[in-house]
Amino acid sequence: MIAAIQSSAVNAAPATGRVLTVDNLRAYYQTRYFGIEREVRAVDGVTLHVDRNEVYGLAGESSCGKTTLIKTLVRAIRPPLNVVGGSVTFNFAGRDCDIYALNQSDLENIRWRHLSYILQGSMNVLNPVRRVQQSFVDFAYRHIGQPMPAFLKLIEAHLHRVRLEPTVLDAYPHELSGGMRQRVTIALASVCRPDFIIADEPTTALDVVVQKDVLSMLRDVQREICSSMILVTHDIGVHANVSDRLGIMYAGRLAEEGRTVDVIRNPRHPYTSHLVTSLPRIGDVTQKRGLEGAPPNLANPPPGCRFHPRCPLAIEICRAEHPPMVDLAPGHRVACWVTAPPIKPGALQ
Amino acid sequence: MSAAGPSRGAYPVRGTSKSGARGDPAAPLLDIDRVGMTYVGGGLFRRSAVRAVDHVSLRLEAGEPEIFAVIGESGSGKTTLARMILNLATPTDGTIRFLGADVTRIRTNRDRMAFMRQVQPIFQNPFEAFNPLKRIDRYLFVSARRFAGARGRVDIEVTADKALHQVGLSLAEVKGRFPHELSGGQLQRIAIARALISAPSLIVADEPVSMVDASLRMSIVNLFKALRDELQVSIIYITHDLATAYYISDRVLIMQRGKAVESGNARAVLDNPQHPYSILLKNAVLSPDDAGRPMPPAGAAQDSSGIPVSNEE
Repeated sequence: MIAAIQSSAVNAAPATGRVLTVDNLRAYYQTRYFGIEREVRAVDGVTLHVDRNEVYGLAGESSCGKTTLIKTLVRAIRPPLNVVGGSVTFNFAGRDCDIYALNQSDLENIRWRHLSYILQGSMNVLNPVRRVQQSFVDFAYRHIGQPMPAFLKLIEAHLHRVRLEPTVLDAYPHELSGGMRQRVTIALASVCRPDFIIADEPTTALDVVVQKDVLSMLRDVQREICSSMILVTHDIGVHANVSDRLGIMYAGRLAEEGRTVDVIRNPRHPYTSHLVTSLPRIGDVTQKRGLEGAPPNLANPPPGCRFHPRCPLAIEICRAEHPPMVDLAPGHRVACWVTAPPIKPGALQ
Repeated sequence: MSAAGPSRGAYPVRGTSKSGARGDPAAPLLDIDRVGMTYVGGGLFRRSAVRAVDHVSLRLEAGEPEIFAVIGESGSGKTTLARMILNLATPTDGTIRFLGADVTRIRTNRDRMAFMRQVQPIFQNPFEAFNPLKRIDRYLFVSARRFAGARGRVDIEVTADKALHQVGLSLAEVKGRFPHELSGGQLQRIAIARALISAPSLIVADEPVSMVDASLRMSIVNLFKALRDELQVSIIYITHDLATAYYISDRVLIMQRGKAVESGNARAVLDNPQHPYSILLKNAVLSPDDAGRPMPPAGAAQDSSGIPVSNEE
């Protein structure tokens, strides 16, 4: 396994196929203090897959389990967060690897070389007392496997791709503007041409004007190196512009998933419909309504469908049983008893 | 209003402090005249000055409640302007008059209280605005005692409950709870209720919905509309979100590096912006309607630094 991963030439992966398969993943925060056990079901039965050269968008409000899902995908978990069921399988260089079956050194070889992240606050990602060049050496030098002068040349060429001058390599993070710092983190995450990039709210801390530029750059780099990406943000406008497919999370579960155009233009889950229709748009003066109620407490989620206390369409079965994901159209899955009833509700038990 | 006696200070409070009884109808509610703020940094040998707000003027009429949006990217001086209106920062030049009286000339405590009764803030992050170790009702009770003149437990609770009902909550839901027990949307509603206790005539809201979840955001935005229409409160709504500004505001002011570059009727300005910076801002909005359309390649979008700042008012 290690040999296969290390010997694979840079970016030799096939252009199609499945890169990530997540099957019924469940990750709970489990605590036990003074004999009181508490369980927060932050990710509860998520099934999804990401294809090569695809941007998978993940949307949902705060405390819906987005960040926990990401942590679980890259195995960056520590107690009290535990994976209690399901599997996460990546396909790197033509080989399947279950990330929870790898040993530590395999994991270290995969991270950054095949699997990298772009995090939210770029100021907190770059070490403030090290120059940008040293950060590149820290993260990427061992994975590139070339002598230092060639490595530096490669970095300069890569920085050019995100329209940064080579002079930023000598700067400290605080000397750069927010947009430049975020571009440095994008360059840092993509310099090894990883198969998979996870971007957690990459532009939330940025200004409106800079945001669009950084996003299109992210998209261009992703297209050029043919990697897959999970893009997490609560901003539907960002997903509309960048994501190929979109998954809507609510209270630790996927509510709807499909091609971004289908989900936004033709939402089927009542939560998605609300998210999309409630967005104000320039040129639209119709009255918009907010959603009543608050997101559920994941330590004590409501029975049945977790959205039913806030759902305008809720019927009897929503209070008792969780709806299964149903394929409404090829690739468009929805979990709702009302808008997407299974063919044979009785056969599911 | 037992606490609001006749004012003899520099700051005129006519009648009671109820918003219905505003001052001289001839004087505008808020009149900002070429106000400026320069922050000076550095030491004896290296001094640097940042012009955060540069000759901005705006005027809100009394008796005509409206939502006035101030739009700009970070560093454009929006928050500095808000702090000057709230009298938390003193402008280096220009004047800010509230009901005809210069806010920087407030000297006595009585005048300051009367001013605070009329002008109330709402801050960006509701999780930071409240002390996590204090019960949330305490803020309402203190405001009721100091600004609404409520005396005695029953009176204070009735005042707080009334304000909470105006934002769609009730004291029973909130009483005795700590900030972490409530969602961001609820906390922001409580912040608005607290501001309403003194029956203000002007609310300065600095990015009030940017930290609130998407599903709850519109209910807060709609609440501002209701405050304007039902309680006759004028609101200065500071934001970088053009879409919500278009949705709720009557007038807008677009700021770039401290200067007002464009202002006017909200729908007219945002439908058809004239200044290059306003056009740039509008083009930077990512709309959900873009789904299915290819995104322009990087570099097509401009940097705001290339656009000259000019006053076109």
